[in-house]
Amino acid sequence: MANQTIRVLVAKPGLDGHDRGALVVAQGLRDAGMEVIYTGLRQTPEQIASIAIQEDVDCVGLSSLSGAHMQLFPEIVSQLRNAGANDVLVIGGGVVPQDDIPYLLEKGIDAVFTPGTPISEIAAYIRTHIQRRGYMHAGINKTEADSDSAAETIRQLTEDTLEEPSNMPQELLQNLRIVPEQLDHIGIAVRSLHESLHLYQEQLGMEVIHEETVSDQNVHILFLKIKETVIELLEPTDKASPIAKFMEKRGPGLHHLAFKVNDIRQALGYAKAAGYQLIDETPRKGAHHKWVAFLHPKHTGGVLTEFCQPMEDE
Amino acid sequence: MSRKGLAAGGREVADFQEQYASWQRKAEQASGRIPERKATFATSSGIPVDRLYVPDEQTADATQYVHQLGFPGEFPFARGTQPTMYRSRYWTMRQYAGFGSAEETNRRFHYLLEQGQTGLSTAFDLPTQIGYDSDHPFAKGEVGKVGVAISSLEDMERLLANIPLDKVSTSMTINAPASVLLAMYIVVAEKQGVTADKLSGTIQNDILKEYVARGTYIFPPRPSMRLITDIFAYCSTSVPNWNTISISGYHIREAGSTAVQEVAFTLANAKAYVDAAIAARLDVDVFAPRLSFFFNAHNNLFEEVAKFRAARRIWARIMKEHYGAKQPKSWQLRFHTQTGGSTLTAQQPDNNIVRVTLQALSAVLGGTQSLHTNSRDEALALPTEESARIALRTQQIIAHESGVADTIDPLGGSYYVEALTDQIEQEVGEYLAQIDGLGGAVVAVEQGYMQREIQKSAYQTQMAIETGEQIVVGVNAFKLEHEPRPELLRIDSSLERIQSERLAHLRNTRNSKAVQEALEALRNAARGSENLMPHIIQSVRVYATLGEICGVLREEFGEYQPSVW
Repeated sequence: MANQTIRVLVAKPGLDGHDRGALVVAQGLRDAGMEVIYTGLRQTPEQIASIAIQEDVDCVGLSSLSGAHMQLFPEIVSQLRNAGANDVLVIGGGVVPQDDIPYLLEKGIDAVFTPGTPISEIAAYIRTHIQRRGYMHAGINKTEADSDSAAETIRQLTEDTLEEPSNMPQELLQNLRIVPEQLDHIGIAVRSLHESLHLYQEQLGMEVIHEETVSDQNVHILFLKIKETVIELLEPTDKASPIAKFMEKRGPGLHHLAFKVNDIRQALGYAKAAGYQLIDETPRKGAHHKWVAFLHPKHTGGVLTEFCQPMEDE
Repeated sequence: MSRKGLAAGGREVADFQEQYASWQRKAEQASGRIPERKATFATSSGIPVDRLYVPDEQTADATQYVHQLGFPGEFPFARGTQPTMYRSRYWTMRQYAGFGSAEETNRRFHYLLEQGQTGLSTAFDLPTQIGYDSDHPFAKGEVGKVGVAISSLEDMERLLANIPLDKVSTSMTINAPASVLLAMYIVVAEKQGVTADKLSGTIQNDILKEYVARGTYIFPPRPSMRLITDIFAYCSTSVPNWNTISISGYHIREAGSTAVQEVAFTLANAKAYVDAAIAARLDVDVFAPRLSFFFNAHNNLFEEVAKFRAARRIWARIMKEHYGAKQPKSWQLRFHTQTGGSTLTAQQPDNNIVRVTLQALSAVLGGTQSLHTNSRDEALALPTEESARIALRTQQIIAHESGVADTIDPLGGSYYVEALTDQIEQEVGEYLAQIDGLGGAVVAVEQGYMQREIQKSAYQTQMAIETGEQIVVGVNAFKLEHEPRPELLRIDSSLERIQSERLAHLRNTRNSKAVQEALEALRNAARGSENLMPHIIQSVRVYATLGEICGVLREEFGEYQPSVW
């Protein structure tokens, strides 16, 4: 969505007339580069849903200070969904007690921002979440329930139309963003796990959290963690191991960066569409109970890049 | 103060001495009628505390003093509206309350009166404020939420059950349908055997600030102004002790204005009401003494004190010099204060008790006539009974323990406070000139001028908080990792159904012919220029509902459509 302006509808449902927050947020989102429409006061859920659809907004921001949010917010979500607007991000704010928030989230409100939230935080939330949903604008409809079919569509797109990325419509290309959840780990090729522990465990105080041998890759693996940071040490068990070959060429050292993604197939589809070369066309089983897939370092600045997605518990 | 006055000669000193002596006589008389709270006042060390401290007449600039400050109860009222102020009687402690059903709110009223509160203040729910009955589709989810639900005289009877209306003064925060709620109050009193001339209280009735800042309007500005002048006229003869309007800066400030804008826009609106009343051929000295004001108190203690003092002085000059009012009572700006709801934080809610204390102190140091202190949990929900009690106790501690009420205008003569007071007066004057230039407050509101100015200030404040230039304790500094969750008040959502059933029952059992006739008479009056109040009172008396009465007026007057941002 980087080249396409995010459109936000700021709405005041119900009879509440306190619109300072709504107006300040509206102004702040404008300053953050979004296109903002404000409904004015006293809008019914029907009116808000209808404006959101007519204006084709990416996000609806609801504000209420009267205590009527428990009835009005879910009503707006259901009006939007009934009208087929499944891809509109719906966020709420105002005087909303913490205890009410789980119910609102359950009813399909994506996030609730209580008083004191900086606008920059709201803008960042909208930007990330609209980006995550960016593919919807490419004509692929997705809700929680039909993520499988979305993945299927992406696979088809990848196989059929996206063989040659240059043929992709520009708009579609721009809309595709992977946006990983976080950096999952840093992979480091070592000659000996045992020797490396001296630095990582004893000197740096990292904690060993997992050990595993991946036989089809001929590699012995150790995961170490400190706070949120995870390092994966990889020791080849055989000369035929890809890690052994890597070290032949470059010596021990940084091997790969792994990003945790929500939907690894989708991430691969996007990456391919954007012109990156895939080492793995489909995900494979990796260490530590994860699906993994790699991008070729040729187009990633020399860094082998991995996507990973934890496997569902069976 | 400059030394010019002294250099000018002895005349000014004589004025000073004469006025000082005159005030002393009045203060003695006043304390003769109502004795001061104590025979002698002293600090905790036993140092005597005088009624008033003034500059030494030999060294002070007497001209400046007389012109800029004056004595308490004397023009230009910078030091207060009464000659003895809180030495004789504290401000009215008037906690704003109302939620759920009329019965529940009635119970809270009785509780607050038992706890030592001295006046009632009623919050109405949004449907009531916008003239819809509880069973109207727009009322869905809102019934009883931010105030009490009042749809008919029956509800009002329940609200005021066992409250002696000749003894308690009641403030009602109601604007667009103020005439209807006042009519209900008058009829309930009638049924208690209390005649309207014995009633005292306030209706907010300030529609201009609804367009500017609060949003609970119904009709367009011009018919709204007529309803207001009709109330002025009716009350001047029939309900003489009623404050017919409370011109409110509170909501302007809550919407994000600065202290200067709060005073400027409130007084600009006030001028518009005076102009409308004069245009309706009312005598300024008859209605002006019943005008009252409502201000906010935020955290910047000295600026808030200066704001209240400046507002009184500016208004006195406007009424005396611009409108030529003759009665000193017409020059007085009497005001209620509420501490700033928007300054309260959802984070670390107990910190709000401290904020409220500072704000309440500024109102007392600024000479307020009545005060509402907000509860600590208002950034989260409506106050619990415990929170409401702490808020009331805050006022009681300021009154009974701090000693700030023992001398009049204790900050008067502070170099800083006087300089701030002068500066606020000047900046307010610039805004008032600007609004006059646009054609007055009604035009300024219609053009969105005030709305834009407020929006600008609100945004600047938000940015200052986000950049950390302005610290809000617990929000952008001194945060807690884990916020404990406070106990919150919950409104029973079954009220909506109960109210609907009651309304259905009422509509089936009342004399529908009488209702039709009353509403038809109201319609005809709305089409002409007759005073609407008697027709509204008649409609209420035969149990026409709020929604029906406002419905007739909606049909005749139309509804206000704001220009969307």
